Amino acid sequence: MSEAPTHAPQPDSKAEISRRDLFAKIGMMLNGLAVVVLATPVVGYLLAPILRGERGQYQRWVSLGDLDEFPEGQTRLAQFRNPISNAWDGDTDKIPCWVRRLTGEQFQVFAINCAHLGCPVRWFPQSGLFMCPCHGGVYYQDGSRASGPPPRGLFQYSYKVEDGKLMIEAGQIPTLSTTASLQTRSGGCQG
Amino acid sequence: MKHRFALLALMLAALLALAGCSLRGKPGPGPEVPRPDSVLDPVVLYRENCSACHGAEGKHGPAMTLGDPVYLAIVDDDVLRTTISKGRTGTAMSAFAQKEGGMLTAQQIDAIIHGIRQRWSQPNVLSGVVAPPYAAKAPGNPQPGQAVYNTFCASCHGNGNQGGSKAGSVTNGAYLSLISDQGLRTLVIAGRPDFNAPDWRSNVPGHPMSDQEISDVVAWLAAQRRQPSPVPYTANPSSTANSSPGGVH
Amino acid sequence: MSRLKQIGNWFEQRLQIAGVIRETATHPVPRQSASWWYVFGSAALTIFILQVFTGIMLALIYVPSAGEAWNSLQYLNHDVTLGWFLRGVHGWGSNFMVAVVLIHMAQVFLFGAYKFPRELTWILGVFLLLMTLGMAFTGQVLRFDQDAYWGLGIGVAIMGRVPILGASLVHLLLGGPIIAGDTLSRFFALHVFVIPGLLIGFVSLHLLMVLKLGINEWPMPGRIVRRSTYVQEYHEMAHRDGVPFVPDAVWKDMFFSAAIIVSVMACAAYFGPFGPSGYPDPTIVQTIPKPDFFFLWIYAMLALLPPQMETAILLIAPVVVLGFLILLPFLSGEGEKSWKRRPIAVVTVLLIAVALGTFTKLATYSPWSPVMDGWSGDPVPVEYLNGRSPLERQGALVFQVKQCRNCHSIGDSGGKRGPALDTIATTLTRDQLVRQVIQGGGNMPAYGKNLNPAEVTALVSFLETLHLPGRPPARDAAQATVTKQENSPPASNR
Repeated sequence: MSEAPTHAPQPDSKAEISRRDLFAKIGMMLNGLAVVVLATPVVGYLLAPILRGERGQYQRWVSLGDLDEFPEGQTRLAQFRNPISNAWDGDTDKIPCWVRRLTGEQFQVFAINCAHLGCPVRWFPQSGLFMCPCHGGVYYQDGSRASGPPPRGLFQYSYKVEDGKLMIEAGQIPTLSTTASLQTRSGGCQG
Repeated sequence: MKHRFALLALMLAALLALAGCSLRGKPGPGPEVPRPDSVLDPVVLYRENCSACHGAEGKHGPAMTLGDPVYLAIVDDDVLRTTISKGRTGTAMSAFAQKEGGMLTAQQIDAIIHGIRQRWSQPNVLSGVVAPPYAAKAPGNPQPGQAVYNTFCASCHGNGNQGGSKAGSVTNGAYLSLISDQGLRTLVIAGRPDFNAPDWRSNVPGHPMSDQEISDVVAWLAAQRRQPSPVPYTANPSSTANSSPGGVH
Repeated sequence: MSRLKQIGNWFEQRLQIAGVIRETATHPVPRQSASWWYVFGSAALTIFILQVFTGIMLALIYVPSAGEAWNSLQYLNHDVTLGWFLRGVHGWGSNFMVAVVLIHMAQVFLFGAYKFPRELTWILGVFLLLMTLGMAFTGQVLRFDQDAYWGLGIGVAIMGRVPILGASLVHLLLGGPIIAGDTLSRFFALHVFVIPGLLIGFVSLHLLMVLKLGINEWPMPGRIVRRSTYVQEYHEMAHRDGVPFVPDAVWKDMFFSAAIIVSVMACAAYFGPFGPSGYPDPTIVQTIPKPDFFFLWIYAMLALLPPQMETAILLIAPVVVLGFLILLPFLSGEGEKSWKRRPIAVVTVLLIAVALGTFTKLATYSPWSPVMDGWSGDPVPVEYLNGRSPLERQGALVFQVKQCRNCHSIGDSGGKRGPALDTIATTLTRDQLVRQVIQGGGNMPAYGKNLNPAEVTALVSFLETLHLPGRPPARDAAQATVTKQENSPPASNR
């Protein structure tokens, strides 16, 4: 290659440059390939929370405790450990909810999150209202919207009674687009 | 110039380091917002849970005068505990214990009772006096009750819905619907000293009411309970919907 | 001295940087631009450096785990020597940084500095603002107290309103189905690695362009920016009537930056660090979440937007605003720079400032929120009970127990969601009071099912006592007529 100037005419030197060019291009392609190969698992890693949710792996039946913890005609605060949780979650995997027992095995289980923007609603038995401390959403005892900005009634969990225990299907924070899975069975939502 | 600035900066830094333990912004002990169920200061608990109805200092509230030593002398801790925990059905007193759907732990309720006793009880307020028992031993008789009312109550509360010269009606059906027999009895015994209503000893000077008289008047009052019709003269209240000039905004 | 010079020369021989530094330091800036109005950019950079420094200090102790973050902050506040002060400086530094960045942006906008050829500098600046706000929000999350937990809940609820992609965005934001350990970890990564890295890159480019293109000249009414001539005119001006950046302009930057740092430290020392508020346990429902200062205006807007337009505005408005900010230099890349000849620009800035200020002010006392323990913790004013009948006092009791006080104030305490009721009897007649209580309406829940007739009677009797001493209560003019015709049913109820 070093002798090129002596007898090589122009086409030759062109060929040499194009060869280096080729190597550079191959080098770039190899790097591009490596990036694609690396990116695929990285994207999969990043999107894992979505994919898991779409496979419906977040929802499980969890127990809220014995039936007799919930007196008829009253609404009580209950809590459960989220079915998907980690050791380092602290207490954030303890999820509260409001349980209203109408009669016998007739229940309504309301999510704690206001349908407006997710703040924790509080039940006031005296006036039979749920009130939200953030933007002033208010709901009646059956969860239907009474006043304020919420676009619908309180979110409700599906429930069933098994071995004298109240079970609900839970697992993800309810929002306007993650509710459907929370209402597959009971469907008694007033919102 | 330069030296002066450097000196100033150095002094500031030193000052900061030294004052580190006494600067105003230093957080006080413990977390800024404690867990609600770890609050055990009776003054705080009373202020947040009781003061709205029973008054800031245990008196001048719409509900029973918890700051009245006479009341505190006739009521015992078990009654207070049960009342706070479970509430009183049929009255405005609601249940505060977590087990009953309220927000307070048993420990906090005990702290509230302890605080009420400590702040307002006077140990000798009824010494030498035989007070009527807090709870009636036997149900009263409404017939003599009316006469008892005329003797002891009518001079202030008058007869009928208009009330008397010094105080409003206590025979109003709606009022009586909102207060239990025990509530009436407690009021007759302890009075409402914060609103100048005397206790059982001084309705008629020199002539305290007997236990039987109290039971009878309560029975008579209980017989006057009437659920009123809430609408005074309109035939159909719903037809006035949306005509109100003042709404809630 | 000569030894020092030798060492300097040794480095210079290898680095060959002295020339660049000298050139940068002494580059001429237009005389009038060496002004107190041009100090905000450098102040923002200074605070950013302060934030990086204090952030690294805090990272020595902070534990980015949902179970331990709150405890590690308590440890910083109470046990680590001056840990609370560093937290204070970092927290107040964040507030100052947002403020200075906003002021810098307003100044650049009013001085027309975004116009040709500084369009890209402006666009990078817009992204720097977004990142600064992003740092403020993620920082609030790292505090991981109840406010952070429920603040995340609000963010999630907004994400959940996005059509089709809502659920995916929720799970992506949280790193799982609920706000928990994975959520904090990813916000830690954002706050500590991703956004600061981007910030450093963007700030460098932003600065490089300021140096390459020169600082904006003082806008003169009538001096028009044209693409064809501007660059030449600017260079002529800078050389004809310029001063070297160091020392003629830089001393003001330094003074202001120092003043800002001292202010941050003073605030930290006097007001202390922010929170953390309560322990992040969602089962503690007795909590009243509130965002940090620079997000209060959003809190207010979320409460005040008409509910039916809320989702549309929440999702579209940010895109529109961002699009406008990015397109701004292309929409008005030439022309007049001086605010004296750009009234719409001035009015826009004032309007935005007043709106944000008003929303923020409103959010500090949030009149739209019920006072959750007003019913049990706000005593009835004694003068509303003195001399009242037992029924009226019982009505006051109903008023408290049925949580009316949570939304209505009497005697200046209680909720402000509904109107204050101190003089309600002068505006509503007995009938109207009864109807309002039973049926609700006008954003008030109907209480009909939860009040028995006796309670309604007592409550309304109490409400009827609420009027000023001299003022007669409201009277239904038709009542006399109606009650006269006792036998015939009323034709009209009014």
